[in-house]
Amino acid sequence: MFGRTAGYSLMWDFAVAETVDGSQRWVLSAMQKHGQELVTMLWRILGNEQDVCDAYQSTFLQLAHYPDRRKPRHVKAYIFRTASNAAVSMLRRKTAERKRLSNAIAAAADKRTEAIRDRFRAGDGSPADEFDLRSLQETLRGCMAKLPEHLRNVIALRDLAELSYAQVGRILGITPATARVYRCKAVQLLAVWMSRESEDAK
Amino acid sequence: MKSNNKTNRCSKTRALLHRALSRSIGLDADWVRNHIAACPKCQRRFAAIGKVNLALSMIKSQPQKLNLLMRANRQAIGVLKHSLRQAPKAEKLRDAQPEPKLMDRCSKYSHSAANVAACAAILFLMKVGVFSSMGRFQSQGKEVVQQYYAAQAGQDLADEIFNA
Repeated sequence: MFGRTAGYSLMWDFAVAETVDGSQRWVLSAMQKHGQELVTMLWRILGNEQDVCDAYQSTFLQLAHYPDRRKPRHVKAYIFRTASNAAVSMLRRKTAERKRLSNAIAAAADKRTEAIRDRFRAGDGSPADEFDLRSLQETLRGCMAKLPEHLRNVIALRDLAELSYAQVGRILGITPATARVYRCKAVQLLAVWMSRESEDAK
Repeated sequence: MKSNNKTNRCSKTRALLHRALSRSIGLDADWVRNHIAACPKCQRRFAAIGKVNLALSMIKSQPQKLNLLMRANRQAIGVLKHSLRQAPKAEKLRDAQPEPKLMDRCSKYSHSAANVAACAAILFLMKVGVFSSMGRFQSQGKEVVQQYYAAQAGQDLADEIFNA
């Protein structure tokens, strides 16, 4: 009995020591454990290497400066949500910057896009090549940035980080069934917005 | 134990329901396909959702550079406090390369593993079958010989020989 109590107390001491560890070695452990998945998710959200590095840096900086420099209870959930938010803020900023571009640059970009379209049309002429694939991705990214947070998190974790619904539910504190419903709603909203944008572009 | 059984039953029921529902009202159902073929509004919706899925899969299929993880780690470690930057783990992270997941690494062996498992199962079944047949053959042979001895030499002698 005493042995078991001593064992529990040792475990408790270890947990407390790790939580209040001043050296914050757990930040590096988190980076080692989840870094790869995080980079993949950020790459898919942002599509730009420097932005990925910036969002990644901002995530771990926030983790290191977590209140009282303690370890969050669910590190994975914390870093994934923080990274997703950081990436979406960047996307929004980029979209706003793009809108502020001068008419001349926009016209030049349009010409370039038109040239790419012409190249695709000249290729095999199949209907799939009629739209610019790159702009489709950019449109999706722009629309994702507009999604409400709860829907956006599910899309980012489920489709871009390729986590299971159970993992998404655990990270966001919802049930897997709710995550499925949110994903369905998010896809419907994205579909409406993307078709509206492509109609506007015409 | 009871709750485990209950959960299993629930998940089985859910899976059955899901299968039945997707057969009758899913996108693969005939009447849904026929309806989409005839309804322009549904065609537009279907095309829009297909476009989202296409864009998502295109984003997923875009490869990242192999040194991206290393670059990201270096940049992130660079802004952490001095003691963390000097830690031996930080050194390792600075040169980290993406590693395929265990499942991905094992996927190339999946066919071989399935073949080995199939061979093992066949061998096991053969062994079980051969041994049980041999056992049956032996016991039936014994009975026949016992009956022969009983008929030729008498029941007492047969019992004495075979039940000793």
